Amino acid sequence: MRRRVLTFLLAIMFIGGVSLGAVRLATAQSNDVLTISQGADTDTLSPLTTAVTPSSNVFNQIFDGLCAHDPNGKLVPALATSWKQISATKWQFNLRHGVKFSNGDPFTSADVKFTVEKVQDPAFKSQKADRVSMIAQVLTPNPYTVIYVTKKPSALMPGRPYDLRIVDAKYWQAHGDAYEVDHPMGTGPYMLKEWKKDDHLTMVANPNYWGGNVAIKTIVWRPIPESASRVAALQTGETDIITNVPPQNADQVANGKLTKLGTAKSDRVLFIAFNTQKPGIQDNVAFRQAINYAVNVPAIVKTVLGGHGFPLRNGPLPPNFVGYDPKLPSYHYDPEKAKDLLKQAGVNGPLNVVLNSPSGRYNMDKEVAQAVAGQLQVVGINATVQTQEWTNYVGQVSHKALTPMYELGWGNDTFDADGTLTPLFTTDYPISTWGTPETDKEIADARYELDPKKRAADYAKIQETIFQQAPWLFLFEYEDLYGINKRVAWQPRSDELIVCKDISWAK
Amino acid sequence: MVAYLVRRLFGAVVVLAGVTVAVFLILHLSGDPALIMLPPEASKQDIVNFDHEYGFDRPVLVQFGDFAWHAVRGDFGNSIRHGDPAMGLALERLPATAELAFSALLLAVLVAIPAGVIASVKRETTVDYVVRAISLVGQAAPVYWLGIMFILIFGVSLGWLPIAGMGGISHLILPMVTLGAFTTAKLMRITRSGMLDVMRSDYVRTALAKGLSSLNVTVRHTLRNAILPIVTVIGLELGTLLSGAVITETIFSWPGIGRLAVQAIYDRDYPVVEAVVVLTAAIFVGLNLIVDLTYAVFDPRVTYK
Repeated sequence: MRRRVLTFLLAIMFIGGVSLGAVRLATAQSNDVLTISQGADTDTLSPLTTAVTPSSNVFNQIFDGLCAHDPNGKLVPALATSWKQISATKWQFNLRHGVKFSNGDPFTSADVKFTVEKVQDPAFKSQKADRVSMIAQVLTPNPYTVIYVTKKPSALMPGRPYDLRIVDAKYWQAHGDAYEVDHPMGTGPYMLKEWKKDDHLTMVANPNYWGGNVAIKTIVWRPIPESASRVAALQTGETDIITNVPPQNADQVANGKLTKLGTAKSDRVLFIAFNTQKPGIQDNVAFRQAINYAVNVPAIVKTVLGGHGFPLRNGPLPPNFVGYDPKLPSYHYDPEKAKDLLKQAGVNGPLNVVLNSPSGRYNMDKEVAQAVAGQLQVVGINATVQTQEWTNYVGQVSHKALTPMYELGWGNDTFDADGTLTPLFTTDYPISTWGTPETDKEIADARYELDPKKRAADYAKIQETIFQQAPWLFLFEYEDLYGINKRVAWQPRSDELIVCKDISWAK
Repeated sequence: MVAYLVRRLFGAVVVLAGVTVAVFLILHLSGDPALIMLPPEASKQDIVNFDHEYGFDRPVLVQFGDFAWHAVRGDFGNSIRHGDPAMGLALERLPATAELAFSALLLAVLVAIPAGVIASVKRETTVDYVVRAISLVGQAAPVYWLGIMFILIFGVSLGWLPIAGMGGISHLILPMVTLGAFTTAKLMRITRSGMLDVMRSDYVRTALAKGLSSLNVTVRHTLRNAILPIVTVIGLELGTLLSGAVITETIFSWPGIGRLAVQAIYDRDYPVVEAVVVLTAAIFVGLNLIVDLTYAVFDPRVTYK
């Protein structure tokens, strides 16, 4: 009996040792395979259903949009070579000739029409439906021309053509909706090879890609949910690129033997909103301005985020957005002024308020809230931080239930003022807790304004009002942190997207 | 025996029905999936449309009737997030979880029972102290701490073992040891104390008195009689392990059912949560039954009527 156990244990050790050697060998040889680890696996490979970033990052490699954003947020041609507004309600896209899906089907205007109508179909239950709700009709005068007819005159290009990825209509109709979840067919630089859900997804270069050869021939997506494990896997070389490096690990990654830190200014801003649609001291403008002067945002960015953020104190829009007004004044740290404003607001003794914060949704979210609460104490406000897990929290945000103050982040990948102002500063939107009849109208008008100069002037006026009314405690833009193996050459982007055809091996 | 089986199977159905009702009600009280699933810029109308498309605007009783009618036929609906059938998603993850669970349990049994037996025989010696210390630490150390320590030591510093995902035995070792540590410790303790109890009994003393070898008595008389609680614990532990080792699977990126469940809970993906809970409840009930039946194998006095 004892001998048998011993033999068994020896056998296990032997097998273990051999397979260990094999793994080491495999790691050393995998020089043409790039492994990317996000926190979550993609939900689906059908590009028409979901809108979450980790999923888009995966299927965007397989599919193309009509146009794309370059790393600076500028629109550049993709499946469409050019586009123009031909009347108040019509946008025309001229499609690229000679593009094929990876099964050989030619790409034509019929595929675009099918894609838009699929997303619009209520029975398909797409989360992207609101993104094409402006489109009344898709016209296809010939195989290489598409015209979007909008419901109202609009200066915004309809249908977010960089975001909507075009599918193979013929292939889709032949196989049905459910098949697309695991069997994507696109025109993009990569094709699916293998997908073992939650473990790994392998894609290989599409030899017929219209955009030419890509540097990396094989990409493996290996999701690692736990951030400490993700950092460890980068350090051991098991993975080449990781997303969402925790700020406390940034130096470790930056100084690693195998690793370097990649950073990008994020389009995501973090702020603390005042719920002015519920009664309370937050209804008072002077109070809201006082809070904005009472908080030392640069100090919070430095200490809580390790410097990985950019204070944004003049309004809700990052400077690279269409509609941002560079001439806006800015809030700054001035506790004395804050105390004066509090007196104006009728606050004469210590004031107790609740500061709501999500826990674990954004980088260091509750730590930021705690730092804000600490600074408010200096001006006589005792803020109690109440944190909640995200799924509960977001439900209350959408019911305007959190009061008087709540922390929230906002990523707007349209790079346009409208994508921030409409949902967050119009009275009736589910997640807006501030608004006046005048600004509601101004924001709606600017959305449909066709003259760019007039539109910029409209937005400047709206931002002026928002700055003065201070419906938020304006905080900062995040800096996204990525861990990158030194053998890889890649510059992260501000829209959180990973575009694999732009990645190459370091020389 | 047959009557007993029929009675137990009927009981299992009742338990599963109860679990189904409970999970349905708790989920539907816990929040609106539209608010999680829709993009944040969704308007009120988008939310109304979403609820209508998925039938969340119907009365809860009607929704439950519809859900139960499909569930009895194994149809839990399509995942809101993935678009695939929910039960299929759960079953797809089961082999990975089973591989991890069975290997962790095998490790626990192979280590814990011999160690527990030796500790009981060599009571109050160094060996016993070491076993007791290990079992104390194993039960006290939080899994996430243990997992991350293993990653740092064997993955990052020594570079011996891969730390993320499935593939080959080398990928299995760290999650297996992490997951098995608690069960090993628990089983060691149960084995040792069970052995000590039996050792004091008359028949063991008699067996020794009539001159049987010490090894013979320990294995054939003491262990054989101490095995019932051990088997019970093994059965229950397997149920726990199979229902998804959420923390271990998350730390080691293991594509199992626990990770699926956690993600589905975060997403308010009702169909998937319901499928996972009902599936794991079924596994639990089934294992319990098997454990009860194996008593007869180990203890001839046990019969089923």
